[in-house]
Amino acid sequence: MAISFFKKTALLILILCCSIGSGYAQSPQATFDSANDKLKAGQYQQAIALYKNLESQNTVSGALFLNLGICYQRIDSLGRAKYYFLKASRFEETQDQAKQALNFVEGQFSRQSAVLPKLPWDIATDWLRNNIGATNLLLIGIILLNLGILVFIIRWFVSWYPNYLKYGGYAITGLAIIVMCGSLYTRYVSTRYSTAVMVKKKIPVVEKPQKNSSLVSQAFEGYTFTVDNYKSKSHPGWAYVRMSNGLYGWIPNDEIMIL
Amino acid sequence: MKKIGRFFCATGFLVSLLALFTCKAVGQSSVSVEASVSETTIYTGERVNLSVKISGDFNNVSRPELPDFKGLRLLSNTPSTSRSYSFVNGQSSTSYTYTYSLIAQDKGSYTIPPVNITIDGDDHKTEPINIKVIDRNESANSSGSQKPDIFLRLEVSDKKPVTGQQIISNVVLYFKDGLEVNSYQPVPGWKAEGFWKEELDNADRPQASSTIIDGVRYRRARLLQFSLFPTKQGKLEISPYKSIVAVRSARSSNDPFSTFFGGMGNNQRQVQLETDPVTVNVQPLPANHNGEYLGAVGDYHISREVSPQNATVGESIQIKTTVHGVGNVSLVTKPDYKMPNGLEVYEPQESSDLNRKNHRISGTKTFTDVVIARSPGNYSIPGKKVSYFDPSKHKYITTTLPPLHFDVKANPNATTAASTSSSFPVQPITGLATWVTPTSTNLLSHWWLWAGIMFPLILLGIAYWQKTYSEKMSTDQAFARSQKASAKAHERLNKAVELSEQGNIKQAYNMLQKALTGFISDRLTMPEAGLSNQEYVAALEEHDIEKNLVKNVRMLLDKCASISYAPETSHAYLKSHVGLAESTLEKLKKVI
Repeated sequence: MAISFFKKTALLILILCCSIGSGYAQSPQATFDSANDKLKAGQYQQAIALYKNLESQNTVSGALFLNLGICYQRIDSLGRAKYYFLKASRFEETQDQAKQALNFVEGQFSRQSAVLPKLPWDIATDWLRNNIGATNLLLIGIILLNLGILVFIIRWFVSWYPNYLKYGGYAITGLAIIVMCGSLYTRYVSTRYSTAVMVKKKIPVVEKPQKNSSLVSQAFEGYTFTVDNYKSKSHPGWAYVRMSNGLYGWIPNDEIMIL
Repeated sequence: MKKIGRFFCATGFLVSLLALFTCKAVGQSSVSVEASVSETTIYTGERVNLSVKISGDFNNVSRPELPDFKGLRLLSNTPSTSRSYSFVNGQSSTSYTYTYSLIAQDKGSYTIPPVNITIDGDDHKTEPINIKVIDRNESANSSGSQKPDIFLRLEVSDKKPVTGQQIISNVVLYFKDGLEVNSYQPVPGWKAEGFWKEELDNADRPQASSTIIDGVRYRRARLLQFSLFPTKQGKLEISPYKSIVAVRSARSSNDPFSTFFGGMGNNQRQVQLETDPVTVNVQPLPANHNGEYLGAVGDYHISREVSPQNATVGESIQIKTTVHGVGNVSLVTKPDYKMPNGLEVYEPQESSDLNRKNHRISGTKTFTDVVIARSPGNYSIPGKKVSYFDPSKHKYITTTLPPLHFDVKANPNATTAASTSSSFPVQPITGLATWVTPTSTNLLSHWWLWAGIMFPLILLGIAYWQKTYSEKMSTDQAFARSQKASAKAHERLNKAVELSEQGNIKQAYNMLQKALTGFISDRLTMPEAGLSNQEYVAALEEHDIEKNLVKNVRMLLDKCASISYAPETSHAYLKSHVGLAESTLEKLKKVI
């Protein structure tokens, strides 16, 4: 009897240790499932806490951001909901749902900002950044450069269509340089500028990074800004932003969430 | 059940009635005790009246307990008393005044200490009063100033305040005996630029007291009183205060109070008086390192509360912050609270309740944050350190507002949230997700970038060199001969060996000679034929070729020339010469 009791106790301790160990080393999927249960049960604050825990571990997915956005939408924190739907829209698997959710949330904001159309150059840069990416562009540029130089060299040793080879080589090399410059510019734009979403109800955008500075405009929840990261570095706690209506100003960092 | 209900109703009614009376009693229990003197500057041997006035609603009042007076002597312990009763707007008020006579004994500045008095069992105390006693003889000698018979003066309580500090500004009228002031009318438009201005309670009729300025006796009456709050630092000037005063010459009277606001007379005239401008040097506030400064300067009590502490989703919850005290109440700003997520925060409301009595501004400023929880849960607003500046202590006083907690439960009757979530077009993703760890790499750190740039450049270099070489070979004959010389010589040497093996020794030596002379002529760009062996050797000597090499060449060429006359020569003998020729050509290749 005594041996049996000790065996049971040892087994229990082993199970307990294993469960504690597994708790500490819980996989992202397990935490995600647990958060989904909370979301389904309407315990939005607990679900948000679990999702944010995953986000802080730098393990992310489109589904995580989409569900986080839904949680914030349910608790009526629409600015934060928009922020996470924008993040989810950057993942292929959640792109369509995130766009639907964004359309819905945009319609819920009490104030809508006037939107100045983007310049064609900015549209092109955004398209390249979001659809191809700076690294892929650079790779394409390198391949084109090699191809162009190869065609150029062939002309020296082969007498077939010398003009075609000559101008073809020039054209491909030139194109390669343009693509590579485009890649570097795209990366520069990505590093310098970020998109941010206003998450507080109302905040003034001011001319200088001081609370009592003169007012540029009022910003409301859900407004989207372009943050100039380089310029903002000089004033910690403040962000230099371009509003969607084309106005520039400073806004406290804790009032916005930067993508 | 019915009887019990009636009992409770009756008890409730009685309790309510009692509470009503108690509240009324508490509300009316405000009593003020004030001490004043008829004159603040007097000559030695002169009389001065000390009055203790009790105002408000009270029942029992004890006789004042007089302190010991320095420099003054009490003439009689028995005071003269007066009583007045008023009933205004349903509010009754009683005023009771004890008046004592004192006589000034010695010159100097003295303070009449606080007078204690018990009203309805509570102890009250008056403020101390400063009084100055002047020697009549000394004063008579020093008097020589040319002050007018009547003038206005602006007297401020502090000429070196800090920003936001309350300073009391009195508009005081001075006039000589023999003048009667009947009325006064302020000229509108007085400005105090750089100050927040609040007029204090000036409902009481001005009381005149006697004072001596530069040996001349004047009567002094405070007409108006203001609170000023400097809003910026530096030297600020309070502009002159103007007032139109109706005055007439009159007979002197023994009662100093009788002539102020006396009846109309024949010699009445109106004069416009104005004060001198007053400059106040406002000091900056010291730096605050502890807690959020609310812009409050004075003496304050700061608190906050949340109500209700148990709410349902969608119900409004108020966080009320109260700043109560004496000072720049109107200028106090709202503390900034960090609200938890999930709360809808509305525009805060603020209200001020100012009290202008007791010769200062006091009151309460209330800030109300209104929030609505959109989901159930326990919410906490973290504690907050706030501070105000106390000018009397000349330091910041920091108060820690404790954290606030409230519980929000789901509203079972709510349908809004459900309808909102049902119309929301996207459902959460609950299956397996694809997890990624975002990394940010520098574009220039990819190895393939540098390899991809270097490879075509190297290829280009090699190809260019090859192209140039080919072109030179085809266009520059001398260069082409020079480049091909070595290969051609080796070919000829191999041919010589072949001829030797076939038994044609003489032809083989002939080929060996061709190999040597051909190499030298190709490398030195000499004619391919028609030259003697000596000319080839001479050409080598001209190019400073090593003597041993030249010697070998000469020896080999001589051997080739003399082979026709030589006896039978073996294949091995030729091979040794071919070997020597090969090594010689290798060495020559390096130097020509």
